[in-house]
Amino acid sequence: METTISPIISFFIGKGVPFETIVLILMLPIIATFIAFLRQVVGIKAFGIYTPLIITFAFLATNGIRYGIVIFIAVLALGMIMRFVLKPFRLLYLPRVAIMVSVVAILILLMLALGGNFQRTGLAAVSIFPILIMITLVEKFVTVQIEKGNRTAMILAIETLFISIAGYYIASWKILIKFIILYPWIILLIIPINIFLGKWTGLRLIEYFRFKNILKKD
Amino acid sequence: MLQFFKKGSSILGMNSRNLEYIRPFNLQRSKKIADDKLLSKRILKKNNISVPSLIAKIRNYEDLENFDWQILPPSFVLKPNRGFGGEGIIVVYGKKKDRNDAWIKADGSLISINDLKNHIRNILDGSFSLSNIPDTAFFEERLKLLKLFKPYTFKGIPDIRVIVFNKIPVMAMLRLPTQESGGKANLQQGAIGVGIDMASGTTTTAIQGKNKFIEKVPGTRMTLSGIKIPQWKDILALAVKTQEISRLGYLGADIAIDKEKGPVILELNARPGLSIQLANKTGLKERLERIAGLNIKTQEKGIRMGMDLFGGEIQEEVEDISGKKIIGTVEKVKLFGKDEKEIEVEAKIDTGAYSSSIDVELAKNLGYENLLNFFSSLEFPQNFSREEAKKIEEDLRKKYLGQHPDLSNIVIVYSSHGNSIRPAVKLNFSINGILISTEVNIIERSELAKSMIVGKKNLTKFLIDVNKLK
Repeated sequence: METTISPIISFFIGKGVPFETIVLILMLPIIATFIAFLRQVVGIKAFGIYTPLIITFAFLATNGIRYGIVIFIAVLALGMIMRFVLKPFRLLYLPRVAIMVSVVAILILLMLALGGNFQRTGLAAVSIFPILIMITLVEKFVTVQIEKGNRTAMILAIETLFISIAGYYIASWKILIKFIILYPWIILLIIPINIFLGKWTGLRLIEYFRFKNILKKD
Repeated sequence: MLQFFKKGSSILGMNSRNLEYIRPFNLQRSKKIADDKLLSKRILKKNNISVPSLIAKIRNYEDLENFDWQILPPSFVLKPNRGFGGEGIIVVYGKKKDRNDAWIKADGSLISINDLKNHIRNILDGSFSLSNIPDTAFFEERLKLLKLFKPYTFKGIPDIRVIVFNKIPVMAMLRLPTQESGGKANLQQGAIGVGIDMASGTTTTAIQGKNKFIEKVPGTRMTLSGIKIPQWKDILALAVKTQEISRLGYLGADIAIDKEKGPVILELNARPGLSIQLANKTGLKERLERIAGLNIKTQEKGIRMGMDLFGGEIQEEVEDISGKKIIGTVEKVKLFGKDEKEIEVEAKIDTGAYSSSIDVELAKNLGYENLLNFFSSLEFPQNFSREEAKKIEEDLRKKYLGQHPDLSNIVIVYSSHGNSIRPAVKLNFSINGILISTEVNIIERSELAKSMIVGKKNLTKFLIDVNKLK
């Protein structure tokens, strides 16, 4: 290990920053760029950049991605159901979200207990922060539901899940981690890459599909 | 495959729209106007642009508590000021009889003051605004639907989206509310978008929702192409004028046509959507690139440029020079029968026939059933030769003309099926807006695709283009 570590990383470790933390922080720009690439070149929207990014890290922080995905899906399913349950009450926005968050919180608590019951202690061992992040996901979901409707909210949620899973595997990719701790300055490359993405005016891959009827004409 | 990707450069994508058109041409200040309906209404009105008139606005809970509900007229529209995508809009059609606290909505259901209050509270709390910032609610007059659009529209009111860039109207589409869209003219919600020829203001191809190509209004037989939008030039002028006033370099103007007021600006869009390209089956980017950097001095010039560059200008020019209308091999014909009966059919334009003929069934519908009964009671010679025909025709005319008021002639027509003796009636019909007074004969055409053919006797005012689609 010592032989393949960059002096910059050793410096931080020397200052008492945990190794895990350093890796996670260095992964942050890579995942962010990955999300920007998917948006600008491929056309996958998801819930902006913040939500997939933070969910990726929530996945990284849960013990194994399985539990993260289970909680994610549970939260969204509940968000869908609660919308129909709460509809006849015609509540104002914030109280409505507050109820959603409460119900999701209770559900997760039950899930953790249930997991314990089936000897799935891994679930209960998930730390509190990823769980909190998942709960707040429900607000994002509700906002999109109101603004763009159920279908779009569902599509964006699935896209978010997809990006987060991909992000999880990128961030826990052994070769990449080794490479980064060896050459941490590589992170600076992110900036020119993003300048390029930020100036990219070509059609997104998804748009080729959307406009295929015009493109195929004559 | 490579061709496919190459052609991509003719289409305006999200990246290019944001980076090359919205960012440089729609400045923050102008975007603010577009995103604030009340502000844009005020600015446009000050510049003598027609907009739906404002009835009242409610800025906060206090306004709401003190609001005098009796000032509302029987019909109105309630909107969130910063709403988008047609969300949060309530359209009220009339006051409920015997009640002064309830109105009737577009779908026939009742809405009470309490329901309205609740909805307004939601608006004030920002439920319908971008990122949930607190918002203002306002009431405005309800525009009246044009008769022309009625059969194409499900509730709501259609509007015309015109993209204006550099003072030139670049592309347009007619947006028709459907059942799916809940009476809203928003493509995302399932409304219909119909492309428009920029020169003539006639509709072309259509989509429903995001990408379903259609030819007729779903569930009806109303063809979406060929609708001639009234006051087309006024609409383009309004769009161009609005661009100048709003200073949105890349503008999507939503224009509705009110029965009394004519074209009015409904809304300004600083980030108009890309689906208009699908409705027109044409890329927007190649059009934008053609006019980028042109120095357009006057509005008239801009409108002229848009019409010339992006419309079927050749057809218009030929029509101007020859004084004749161009029609295709199949055209819509409006027939004017007895007792003010009007029937529109698709007719075959047949230069191989001398006179026009209509089907028995169609003739019955036009009010000639009595004549047909009379005619079928007559006795005619069978199996005669072509030489004899002339004489027989003369005899029949002498014998029967004048015996029935509708019978204007008896003709013997030679066709591929042999000879037939047909009754003829005086009839008016119109093709492409041109009225023709003539005599048409009646024959059993039920086995043929079109219930009418128009012969060359009635085609003197037209040029026929075999490539033209109806």
